[in-house]
Amino acid sequence: MNTELLTTVMKNPSLFLAGPGTARIQDRPVPTISDPHDVIVRVCFVGVCGSDVRRGDAVHFWKHGGIQTPVSDPLVMGHEASGTICAIGSAVTSVKVGDRVAIEPGHPCRRCTACKAGSYNLCPDIKFASAPPDTHGLLTKFWKAPEDFVYKVSDETGLDEEVLVEPLSVAVHTSRLAGIRPGDTVVIIGSGTIGLLSGAVARIFGAHRVILLDIAGEKLRFAAEYLGAETRLLDMEASPEESSEAVLSQFDLHDRVDVVIEASGAEASVQLGIYLLRLGGSYVQTGVGKPKLSIPMLALSEKELRVRGCFRYGAGDFALAVQLLDRRMVDLKPLISSVTPFERAPEAWDKTGRGEGIKNLVQGVLD
Amino acid sequence: MAPLNKNDLSNLSFILNKPNDVSFAERPKPSLASPHDVLVAVNYTGICGSDIHYWVHGAIGHYVVKDPMVLGHESAGTVVEVGDKVTSLKPGDRVALEPGYPCRRCTNCRAGHYNLCPEMAFAATPPIHGTLTGLWSSPADFCYKLPDNVSLQEGALIEPLAVAVHIVKQAAVTPGQSVVVMGAGPVGLLCAAVARAYGASKVVSVDIVQSKLDFARDFAATHVYASQRVSAEENAKAIRDLAGIPSGADAVIDASGAEPSIQASLHVVRNGGTYVQGGMGKPDINFPIMALCLKEVTAKGSFRYGAGDYALAVELVASGKVDVKKLITSVVGFKQAEEAFKKVKEGEAIKVLIAGPNEKM
Repeated sequence: MNTELLTTVMKNPSLFLAGPGTARIQDRPVPTISDPHDVIVRVCFVGVCGSDVRRGDAVHFWKHGGIQTPVSDPLVMGHEASGTICAIGSAVTSVKVGDRVAIEPGHPCRRCTACKAGSYNLCPDIKFASAPPDTHGLLTKFWKAPEDFVYKVSDETGLDEEVLVEPLSVAVHTSRLAGIRPGDTVVIIGSGTIGLLSGAVARIFGAHRVILLDIAGEKLRFAAEYLGAETRLLDMEASPEESSEAVLSQFDLHDRVDVVIEASGAEASVQLGIYLLRLGGSYVQTGVGKPKLSIPMLALSEKELRVRGCFRYGAGDFALAVQLLDRRMVDLKPLISSVTPFERAPEAWDKTGRGEGIKNLVQGVLD
Repeated sequence: MAPLNKNDLSNLSFILNKPNDVSFAERPKPSLASPHDVLVAVNYTGICGSDIHYWVHGAIGHYVVKDPMVLGHESAGTVVEVGDKVTSLKPGDRVALEPGYPCRRCTNCRAGHYNLCPEMAFAATPPIHGTLTGLWSSPADFCYKLPDNVSLQEGALIEPLAVAVHIVKQAAVTPGQSVVVMGAGPVGLLCAAVARAYGASKVVSVDIVQSKLDFARDFAATHVYASQRVSAEENAKAIRDLAGIPSGADAVIDASGAEPSIQASLHVVRNGGTYVQGGMGKPDINFPIMALCLKEVTAKGSFRYGAGDYALAVELVASGKVDVKKLITSVVGFKQAEEAFKKVKEGEAIKVLIAGPNEKM
């Protein structure tokens, strides 16, 4: 059956992952306003994240059906999106119908200890788009959200770019956790979307030097041009201790690296990051890789490093990301590598899975 | 104990009509507005300075009592009904009530500062009715189950204790520090106790009433000082000499609102120390701004209580670190509420509790 025809007949066409390698478009009920603070969004663009597809050692959704919790029942994918408001509840004041918005895809409970303490990203009951077992994601026509989880954006910025507010928020959260201050030297390991955006945010937070490391030369060439960052290609045959010495020598940074943002999840990179830091330096683990790996604990301890985990984004991060984009302090267009029609979304997943492009987008359902 | 039935309970309420004009009336019984709410039968309510202030003046700042309003906000009670989604509480549970409900959606709420929510609905801050009533409806997460060893009367002291917890957290007291607390009323006394619980090795209570200082010495203070009619600098020096802190105190808390105390505070805090404004007095005062600047003092406000304060307050009582029972001067029946207010206004009592209308005295 012609899927383009299907999506014009369906009321709320949605792209389900039914099992590893099995995706299908199915209809779902159109969401309706059930709380005075709800809004309904017509989804315009959806981004593909590394977590949507298999990457390296980590097990992800598309190829293996789920990160930690396997996808059992069919689940709508997608958690990075932008759209336009098509309905609002009676108490909504921050947006009106027709407004263009960036979408924060995780809705916390607001009642638990974590939520009330300001760490809603750590809410045990958070409903995060495309998270198993049954929180359907944003590869859909209509999306319901509480008003405070959509952000009105400037008319000057394309909705395709606004999709990248989500990974930009991860970068903002990372930089805040890292405690980047003006004058800092920041090394970022991993030059994918998160690494690149973390570099941009680090600059905005006042970092004096931003250095990107990766094993892929092409990514580093992009980083050098996009960010004006210093870069170095890592030698996969070298040990983390050797790599650390090479980096510190090349950039003359012995005991001068203030912050390391680990944005790859690779074991060798985690180790490298710990070796690179100065005494008392700050390390943030943003990249997702193997659940357990080996780290230079003695070095961490003797240098009294401050090590933080980093999970998604919290209070104020999305709002700041929208501000940075709309004030043109970051340019997200260069990161958009392709746009795939809704009906062929798995092609976008495949591209990302093969490492093609930086951010691959899926077009929202067209009328 | 058999669960209470809402239909068997009175909802007699103590109402402020206008300044110095109070009355009792049965009000409509509340129902659960949300599946996350619980209905609580109020057992005891303490009287706060703010209740007295509304009773006498009918307003605090821009909060004005325009329509009759039920007074009271320091309460403990027993759960009568729970909404369908409530799993943390069941009927019969004894709870301390946190009486202010934020919107949970604004920037302040999402950042963990719900006490600063502009839409906060706070009991007995007009136009929101208070807890001097029979039945009270609350979101379940704003009710804190009392452990078996904590009585309902102690439960009514959790509210002012949570205020003190919030103040001491703002002061960032750490083990071994010295703390001066201006004011030995209930909040000042509790600040001294919480500062001790946070490991302060010296806690000086300061007041102008000797009997309050005598109480403070037995309750939580390591030193007490009676303010003299001398300059702020002279009082400050006397405090430093008394407590053996020649460089000044690490943290100074004002729980008096009194201008002379606030001025003395800036002269008794050490270089680089922290000053917290908890007390409320005149809205505008003369402030030693030069001392603040030269000594690089960190000055912070403190307003009510926020994330984790109530839970910590319950824990401090349950573990015996703060003995709130000592602050209870007397307990009166619900119908004696007006007399209790008069007694508190005269300044003779520390904390007077009013039993709920369904409490058998």
